[in-house]
Amino acid sequence: MEILYNIFIDPFVQMVVLPDFFLQVIWEGFVAGVLYALIALGFVLIFKASGVFNFAQGIMVVFAALSLVGLTEAGVPVYVSLALCIGIMFLLAYGVERLVLKPLVNQPDIILFMATIGLTFFLIGLGETIFGGEPKTMVTEELGLPTGSTAFDVAGGIVILQHLDIAAATIALMMVALLGFFFSKTRIGRALRAVADSHKAALSVGISLEQIWVIVWFAAGIVALVTGIMWGARSDVSFALQIIAFKALPVLILGGFTSIPGAIVGGLIIGIGEKIGEIYWGPLLGSGIESWLAYLIALVFLLFRPQGLFGEKIIERV
Amino acid sequence: MFYRETGQFKTSYAEDMALFPVIQDRIGIGVILIVAFVAIPLLANDFFIASIMIPFLIFALATVGLNILTGYCGQLSLGTGAFMGVGAYACYKLTTIFPEVNIIVMVLLSGFFAAGIGVVFGLPSLRIKGFYLAVATLAAQFFLEWCFIRIRWLYNYNDSGAIETVDHTAFGLVLAGPSAEPLTRYFIVLVIVIAMTWVASNLLRGRFGRQWMMIRDMDIAAELIGVRPLQAKLLAFAVSSFYCGVAGAMMVFFWLGAAEPAAFNINLSFQILFMVILGGLGSIAGCFMGAAFIWILPLIIRTAPLLFGVEISAALVEHIAFMVTGALIIFILIVEPHGLARIWQIIRQKLRVWPFPY
Amino acid sequence: MSVAEVLEKPAAEVPAAKPEKRKILLSVEHVSLSFGGVKAIQDISFDIEKGEIRAIIGPNGAGKTSMLNVINGFYHPQQGKITFEGKNRDKMRPYIAASQGIARTFQNVALFKGMTTLDNIMSGRTLKMRSSFFWHLFHAGAARSEELKNREFVEHIIDFLEIEHIRKTPVGRLAYGLQKRVELGRALAMEPELLLLDEPMAGMNLEEKEDMSRFILDVRQEFGTTIALIEHDMGVVMDLSDRVVVLDYGKKIADGVPEEVQKNQDVIDAYLGVPH
Repeated sequence: MEILYNIFIDPFVQMVVLPDFFLQVIWEGFVAGVLYALIALGFVLIFKASGVFNFAQGIMVVFAALSLVGLTEAGVPVYVSLALCIGIMFLLAYGVERLVLKPLVNQPDIILFMATIGLTFFLIGLGETIFGGEPKTMVTEELGLPTGSTAFDVAGGIVILQHLDIAAATIALMMVALLGFFFSKTRIGRALRAVADSHKAALSVGISLEQIWVIVWFAAGIVALVTGIMWGARSDVSFALQIIAFKALPVLILGGFTSIPGAIVGGLIIGIGEKIGEIYWGPLLGSGIESWLAYLIALVFLLFRPQGLFGEKIIERV
Repeated sequence: MFYRETGQFKTSYAEDMALFPVIQDRIGIGVILIVAFVAIPLLANDFFIASIMIPFLIFALATVGLNILTGYCGQLSLGTGAFMGVGAYACYKLTTIFPEVNIIVMVLLSGFFAAGIGVVFGLPSLRIKGFYLAVATLAAQFFLEWCFIRIRWLYNYNDSGAIETVDHTAFGLVLAGPSAEPLTRYFIVLVIVIAMTWVASNLLRGRFGRQWMMIRDMDIAAELIGVRPLQAKLLAFAVSSFYCGVAGAMMVFFWLGAAEPAAFNINLSFQILFMVILGGLGSIAGCFMGAAFIWILPLIIRTAPLLFGVEISAALVEHIAFMVTGALIIFILIVEPHGLARIWQIIRQKLRVWPFPY
Repeated sequence: MSVAEVLEKPAAEVPAAKPEKRKILLSVEHVSLSFGGVKAIQDISFDIEKGEIRAIIGPNGAGKTSMLNVINGFYHPQQGKITFEGKNRDKMRPYIAASQGIARTFQNVALFKGMTTLDNIMSGRTLKMRSSFFWHLFHAGAARSEELKNREFVEHIIDFLEIEHIRKTPVGRLAYGLQKRVELGRALAMEPELLLLDEPMAGMNLEEKEDMSRFILDVRQEFGTTIALIEHDMGVVMDLSDRVVVLDYGKKIADGVPEEVQKNQDVIDAYLGVPH
């Protein structure tokens, strides 16, 4: 009975008794969720346009952040190094298209997936060779990101919001809006959606696959850079950061591999669900359940909706 | 010229269905077995046997396991490392509960525990496919890894959090543990791996293997022909996990001697997956080629600078090894996406018609 | 024209190949199927007699393939009843349909591309094989003898379809016409009561069509299989089939022997197009 009470009643009692703490937990979850959503967004962009499950998105985040910090530490003014980083992400996109995607065109998905794992290994090795393996501190202040926090009086207690988190959420939402506009209203966006539907058909109406791929990988690179800055500012910049890529995968299951709104809503569900689970139910199981709770949420969800949150119901044909 | 089937007529379907219908292949396998059983034990030193051959064979077995699931049944799994861990921990618990039973029996038994866990985590495969399933198997990976750390009962509440082998003796020989001879361990591993590989190829050429391949190539058509998808997929998960479990148990008991939970983390899963892909999806011979390639490549990269007399710090070598491995994987995928097994097939075809071009 | 009217026809008018004693193998009664708002099949009834070749024709999108999908349990109709060999079958999984004796070929060839011709046809024997997992571990005993026995049966089919030369070729590499033939072989290996052929001659040249027609007729003669066939080539349909059912926009517009159907005004309208 006690165990049932601990599982089904006690956590909810705590939520009601300490509403300010509960809100704080939700806020933390929300911010984490936004960042998960950003990584998932990088995946979605590439998957939509090329059908490639880009395992390297996580390491791209680290690589982008490391380049930024590394260049700044080497004495380059911060905004110059930011611009240089964007250049590096472009070179990366171009290189990937030239050296990996193009020679592998028309291969099965799993081969392309493996190639991105190879790319991950390559980038880890390259990053460590250039920047060394030690964690670095993100150049938060130099970039003009706000620090400090504001406390709000809510429900008889206080909720503390870090300014950095507010900025992260705002910038992330702006990026999503911008990408959404870019892909729905511009010529390139239309071409991208065409490529997503069928490579062959897109080629036949004169869309350049190479160009589209460079653009989406570049866009994913920019998303990675932003994610890297935000996440790096909250902790520090190291190769351990790439594990957040694994956090983004359940988000993808939840939201569907091809849906931008899915990535965002999925990210928020996972971020908030994970925090609540960890805080209220975690102690029952011993800590560290964060590593798999997100997957559990996603799996349970899949049993009821195999096509994901925003996926269309698939009518199988033969 | 040297590799020609001309004149080898088969007069019954049984002959045609043999594992190696071509006589040259039978000779080739014979040579390989002689090398493995006679030449290597006579000529190789302990380092070669303990640090190259034993891990190579163990990884090859795990690769066979994953290849059954991914290469033959088409279900992509990223939880291999964790399933190997289940085998290792099951074997560890079994040997502490029944210390007097022969260790080889225990290693094989622990495969069944891995198979059971594999089936549980294979259940979502009925509803989800492809990369969605791959992500779902990551749930197995992270959840089981968490169990290896958090459930203290699994490692007998010791402080290190690792599992360690003590000496296991039978027939007057130390079979496993700190004082076991590398050669003894090598022979045990070799026999288990060969026997299980033979069993796997038997399974794959019969009706079960065919059902898996049907699911892989076109699951809808398979169902319309009468395959029960859930049964076939779960069987593939069970057999595959069994192989991985045995490989995991051997990893601890016949190779490393001790292991922490981190030994079975996601990197192990990827390593095995690399071996499968580079060796060739859907090829048993490819498993051995892939395992050899992935296991030996980093060793070569590490020793290469020493050969040229170049002094580089150990960390830097490690980083470069990472880079080169990644680049080589991409390179091989570009050159031959069907892996080393296909390259071998092409060579065989060339040999067949040599000295003519075709 | 209703089913009853056809059945009441004097035997003389029915093509000679049909057995004298008419027995209904499969009947479809008032079946409707829709996907969301799209009504793929609306209130269709017809039956298939044992031993006949039954053609299902109609313009593109008429619901022919959906009809086959309903018959072999891949889609579940929202309304209606299907009886096969006198047994009512509601929601059933495709593998149960297969075990009851319904085999099928597909509009877009659905072979197992990574497997050889031999393995593909062997796969049709799935339900005929019962040997235990244990024997398969060693490829011995029951497993071995069963494989051999079925291999012999499959070789018979390979002979029948004249595809000996591609026995060991992965089907992904075969030409389209041959793939269709292998697919027929796979369906035949199931020794079905009812064989559903979805456009067996699509994309074939004249010679290949003639070959395929010959095989279809031979199949009925040699194995006594009942065949339901979707085909666009009217010449083939009129020559091969005993009775024809015509669908248009998910509705049945005609049913009867080929000569009658050809003259039916609704059918002519459907094919030539009149404002709906």
